[in-house]
Amino acid sequence: MRISHIFVVSLSVAACKQVGTNADTTHAAVGGAPIVADARIGTPNPPGAEGEWVMPARDYASSRYSTLAQITSGNAKNLRAAWTFSTGVLRGHEGQPLVVNKTMYLVTPYPNVAYAIDLTQSGYPLKWKYRPDNAQQAVGTACCDVVNRGAAYSDGRLVYNLLDGHTVAVDAESGKQLWRVQMADLQRGETITMAPIIVKNRVIVGSSGGEMGVRGWIAALDLATGRELWRAYNTGSDADVKIGSRFKPFYPTERGKDLGITSWPGDAWKIGGGAVWGWLSYDPTLNLVYHGTSNPGPWNQDQRPGDNKWTCAILARDADTGELVWAFQVTPHDLWDYDAVNENILVDMPVKGQSRKALVHFDRNGFAYTLDRQTGEVLLAQPFVPMNWAKYINLQTGRPEVDTSKATKQGKLVKNICPSLEGGKNQQPAAFSPQTGLFYVPTNNLCMDFQSRPVSYIAGTPYIGANAPETGGPGDYKGEFIAWDASNGRKVWGIREPFPVWSGALVTAGNVVFYGTLDGWFKAANARTGEVLWQFKVGSGIVGNPMTYTGPDGKQYIAVYSGIGGDMGLLIAGDVAANLPFDVRERGTTLPDLAKYTSWGGMLYVFSL
Amino acid sequence: MRDALSFIALMVTICSCAKGIDTAEAREPDIVRRAAAQQVQQTTTGGQQPGFIQHLENIQPGISLHGGFAQLTNPFHGDAGKVREGASLFVSYNCMDCHGADGSGAMGPSLADNRFHFGGTDGEVFQSIYEGRPEGMPAWGGRIPDDQIWRLVAYVQSLGAGKDVSTENFTGKTIQKMGH
Repeated sequence: MRISHIFVVSLSVAACKQVGTNADTTHAAVGGAPIVADARIGTPNPPGAEGEWVMPARDYASSRYSTLAQITSGNAKNLRAAWTFSTGVLRGHEGQPLVVNKTMYLVTPYPNVAYAIDLTQSGYPLKWKYRPDNAQQAVGTACCDVVNRGAAYSDGRLVYNLLDGHTVAVDAESGKQLWRVQMADLQRGETITMAPIIVKNRVIVGSSGGEMGVRGWIAALDLATGRELWRAYNTGSDADVKIGSRFKPFYPTERGKDLGITSWPGDAWKIGGGAVWGWLSYDPTLNLVYHGTSNPGPWNQDQRPGDNKWTCAILARDADTGELVWAFQVTPHDLWDYDAVNENILVDMPVKGQSRKALVHFDRNGFAYTLDRQTGEVLLAQPFVPMNWAKYINLQTGRPEVDTSKATKQGKLVKNICPSLEGGKNQQPAAFSPQTGLFYVPTNNLCMDFQSRPVSYIAGTPYIGANAPETGGPGDYKGEFIAWDASNGRKVWGIREPFPVWSGALVTAGNVVFYGTLDGWFKAANARTGEVLWQFKVGSGIVGNPMTYTGPDGKQYIAVYSGIGGDMGLLIAGDVAANLPFDVRERGTTLPDLAKYTSWGGMLYVFSL
Repeated sequence: MRDALSFIALMVTICSCAKGIDTAEAREPDIVRRAAAQQVQQTTTGGQQPGFIQHLENIQPGISLHGGFAQLTNPFHGDAGKVREGASLFVSYNCMDCHGADGSGAMGPSLADNRFHFGGTDGEVFQSIYEGRPEGMPAWGGRIPDDQIWRLVAYVQSLGAGKDVSTENFTGKTIQKMGH
């Protein structure tokens, strides 16, 4: 039976029209009391000024919340395009710009060009353009389009990853390359697409390639020199995984010697995946970096009986040493390609009447997890999209109660598994507002059939062994932008979309939440009610993440990439013959008519009042 | 050097099973010899600008300048049994997980739309598999037997050939099988 969980919103929204316009009253209740009380961002204010954006999710908590409040739910209807910029690249533009020192920094998909735009000058001229050496071979080695999820800034340096497995640091003022270090091995199918974070003087990066039989890792580099300080693998011996005396997982199933080997058959852990291609968070008080790990390889589960640790897991590591402090395997022995790499949002809030240092994670598997970020204990886990592969999460064990009729098996065609392998949510990051206490989550409503088969490992080729055609989920929508109460595990409101919502979210102190759609709408909604306040049709579908900043003129701006691609847009953005009616390819039955609404692109759009 | 040796081995294999193919030297495209001659001429004229040379071939796309692959013909051309064996190899060597079910495109480009980035003749497809291509196509030459490469060529050419459908429609029916 499909668990359909259409929560009826019965909250009073009577106060929603009341808005403030004073930028200084950033935490004042724009529109009244929070919907979830006493929830706040779990880390201190980010480095940089209020109007800057120096790291991928704006803060270490990954909140994507800005205190800027000139643009409000009252005046958002007056938004208009202020200026635009073409990146010169036509592939999936995931990630987000940064704004530091009156300069905007962009990183494109492969070939991973970086631009520095002078915000103080009329016409927004470039300060510099940096085009790195970047092996062309990477294009065909990346599983899911040639995306890049952005840069991080610290101490005058812009740091980001190249698809071919290098990490580079560029002087933010001059664009001069400071260092370039090879971190991933392209010959073994490793690429890098994730956005680093910079913690103290350490750049934290991780690998992609879960579909290529890689052995996933996360590493820290010295910000000044690029020297590798530590590297931890997510499969293999305790020494390699950096499991030692400090490792205290909450659940007994996560305890035992060398589980990164013994939960696999033979040497399968060496090519078992567990990549770190998603977002990173950091709690400075606990000095812990939080990251997820990808699916195990291959998808054909018969070739890897066991829990397959530490794939599809959330891991907490000491930022200085990489030591594992706790681990929680979200989907043990994954049967559906449910990577656990989605962002971990660090929020302090009451759960079941008790104030907790929480970590909120919207997993590919369709459950929204509220964890204790000190211990890895699951406090709550509720479905946030239509799903049917599991009946519930057992809070005693943290493990899902799997519906065995949805368990995949070699040679067997298992039909109608929800969510699909794209997940109830993929990499598109959610946002959290301390004003409302709500999480704003871009979601997919897709299902799949799954048939796996034996597959050989051939270095540098895909290691998958399954076909999994996707279709739309129940209902006449394939995506929904929702507001989520993580204290109680319930949806508060939702905006249904005809296509999966593959852009990230931004929420501001002006009670406005922003997101984009695959068919190219950029939307502003009331953060309390979900009422769409304004929308603008951009040139190409949006898979990037909106951000906001204060310009040198004192005005608040909203910026977002337009440029369809990424895993959901990969085939759409592939090339087509010139005599076809549209210039994008349709992705089979999954998104049969998307090509009518969008085409290739690579643009930055900036909006203001 | 190893590549050269394996290429020679390849030539021997091909010559033994393909009919009517002459020597490797004769197969070398004319443009290669002319380019070499031009190189000599430039050297001997002491760095002066060379005179106008009529080489219409220079602006033709898709001509392989080395290896003579373009001159090769598939010994299995039109052999339905070999096409089926190629389809099986296409799965075994993980080609499918890059190029999609039925070659309809995924990580790698579609092979089913009759539009080949590096040319769709027997020799050009063979070369793409044998030598690999810069955007990530692995080089299979020397790793798998040449006669298997020819089976793959036969299969790949069968995907787009004779199908009077646009990429879009073709994709619509088949890419769903891949799902990634």
